[in-house]
Amino acid sequence: MNKNLYQPINGEIADIIDESPTIKSFVVVPEEEFRFATGQFVELTLPGEGEAPFTPSSSPAITDKMEISIMKAGRITALLHECEKGQKVGIRGPYGSGYPIEDFIGKEVYIIGGGVGLAPIRSLFLTLVDRIKDFKSVICRYGAKTPEDFIYKNTLFDSWQKIKGVDMKLTVDQGNGQWKDNVGVVTTICAKDDVDVKNAVAVICGPPIMMKFATMKMLEFGFKNSQIYLSMEKNMSCGFGKCGHCMLGKYYVCKDGPVFTYDQIDKYPNIWD
Amino acid sequence: MQTVFLTDLKPLLAAVAERMDLYVPKNAGTHYVYNRYDPSAGVPVEVNNIRVCTPSKEFLFPLRELAAVFPEPLEPKEIEPFAVFGLKDCDLRSIEILDKVFTEKEFEDPFYVKRREKMFIISSDCSDPADSCFCNVLNGRPFAQSGFDLNVSKVKGGFVVEAGSPKGVDFITTHSDLFIQAGDEVIAQRDTKRAETQNQLEQNNADLKFDVPVNEIVENGQDSDVFDEEAKTCVECQACTRVCPTCHCFYLYDTKKEDYFSKMKMWDSCMRIAYAEVAGGANPRKVLGDRLRHRFMHKFSYFLERYGLDMCVGCGRCVDAEAGDVDIREVLKKLNEELKGEGKKKAKVGK
Repeated sequence: MNKNLYQPINGEIADIIDESPTIKSFVVVPEEEFRFATGQFVELTLPGEGEAPFTPSSSPAITDKMEISIMKAGRITALLHECEKGQKVGIRGPYGSGYPIEDFIGKEVYIIGGGVGLAPIRSLFLTLVDRIKDFKSVICRYGAKTPEDFIYKNTLFDSWQKIKGVDMKLTVDQGNGQWKDNVGVVTTICAKDDVDVKNAVAVICGPPIMMKFATMKMLEFGFKNSQIYLSMEKNMSCGFGKCGHCMLGKYYVCKDGPVFTYDQIDKYPNIWD
Repeated sequence: MQTVFLTDLKPLLAAVAERMDLYVPKNAGTHYVYNRYDPSAGVPVEVNNIRVCTPSKEFLFPLRELAAVFPEPLEPKEIEPFAVFGLKDCDLRSIEILDKVFTEKEFEDPFYVKRREKMFIISSDCSDPADSCFCNVLNGRPFAQSGFDLNVSKVKGGFVVEAGSPKGVDFITTHSDLFIQAGDEVIAQRDTKRAETQNQLEQNNADLKFDVPVNEIVENGQDSDVFDEEAKTCVECQACTRVCPTCHCFYLYDTKKEDYFSKMKMWDSCMRIAYAEVAGGANPRKVLGDRLRHRFMHKFSYFLERYGLDMCVGCGRCVDAEAGDVDIREVLKKLNEELKGEGKKKAKVGK
């Protein structure tokens, strides 16, 4: 008999980092070693309140703790934002299949992120830069509403930009006095010349509307549907393809995804809703 | 396997009830419900003519159950053996469908598996199909084909009992004093009766004859307006999914107790508006017609592709239960008409 699928591993919030006015990162320490592949997600339980799905933003190389960046968006996330260090939590997972890193080898990896969508992308980014020589280049195009809304500011504005083989550009929807960079939605910093489409993959993660327009942009650049990797955030609950809430056409996003190539899902209605 | 005969059901039921809890159908007027069998109560048990009103999934996947406890983990408790009398072919096929989902190798549901291992199934033949029964359209029969431990068929002067599993054979062997060997005559009688009931079903559903597999009809019609039209008559009572023996969506939620927390698992319905909604309000199926469309696609296309079976057994419970006016048979008929219409159009263009 397998162990009880519904029973989370006990854990504790060891640290909380304020990332932006609406996003906090939680350092979660599980009571036992916890391994995940980049792009996989976990169900984080606030005992007595409920659970919600999140993709860890830390490197999968770290197995004694994980970082989860959470935007205040609903009931559970609002409660999590009120938590303090030492809060007991439960962790189930990891679930899903994550990013197929091996398929990216030798290619240009074109990453487009928006808002809290940088969370899963950070885990991917850290995984890629760990073995940067395996990839032709890593190109990041990342947008936030305002300069204050960027997360991981310390590294994003500094050390990440200096990594050899990484080409990073940032944009905001709305600037402030200090912002010297681009103003406009994320697709305004994506240019066809950025990337050799024939030998590249596009990875997109962010709010649905941004993912939709970024996908359109990539198609315009000449990417095939099968070269575009989308991190689909649906209502994942059980995590193993049974409860049905996250179904996207024939797929259980929790089990068959959450990362899909666009050609897998382009025929289904309302994928961006 | 073994086939035997007995004149009275009572000793058989008593022998089962001696070993384990036994659930039997109780006639509730217009329908049957399940009750625990009490041999001392002296209430006669009859062979239900059709499936019991409540879905068979209740025995394996209860409406609500405890799934996890904090901070001390919950080990699935041991289940005592139990038996159910009066399940029909549609019920057995629905259990086959649930097995695919809940006993999947890598992701076994421990609560389901424990109950399934301890369940002793005594099925019975249908005798008088209801207007809503349409199992024959989806490869069902008015008698058990497989998946039972014992099957009971009523014949003149008694009952033919057939073993369908090693557990069933063991039961017959252990209780050999209850039975006599079934003669060719009673078996022939049983088979004639089965053929008659099958015939009756086919007549009832004469207008539900399809030239192509049901999945092709539904897949072809997945963008059809039929779903939006039908949705106009749906009152979102969700009865169709609750009473369906194959629907297995569930909802996980947490509760607080004095000194511990628990995670509960409860039936859910894909027809519920907030079913697929995420934090922040995005919802891929906020339109009722889209939810109905998804329900049909799941039942007749997605599940088939993943597990090799239709996720509908044609029991007709949803037809009886709903408060609105969405009839699964009518939807299939309309989609089939559309498919045939398109075929004709294409043929014309071809000329």
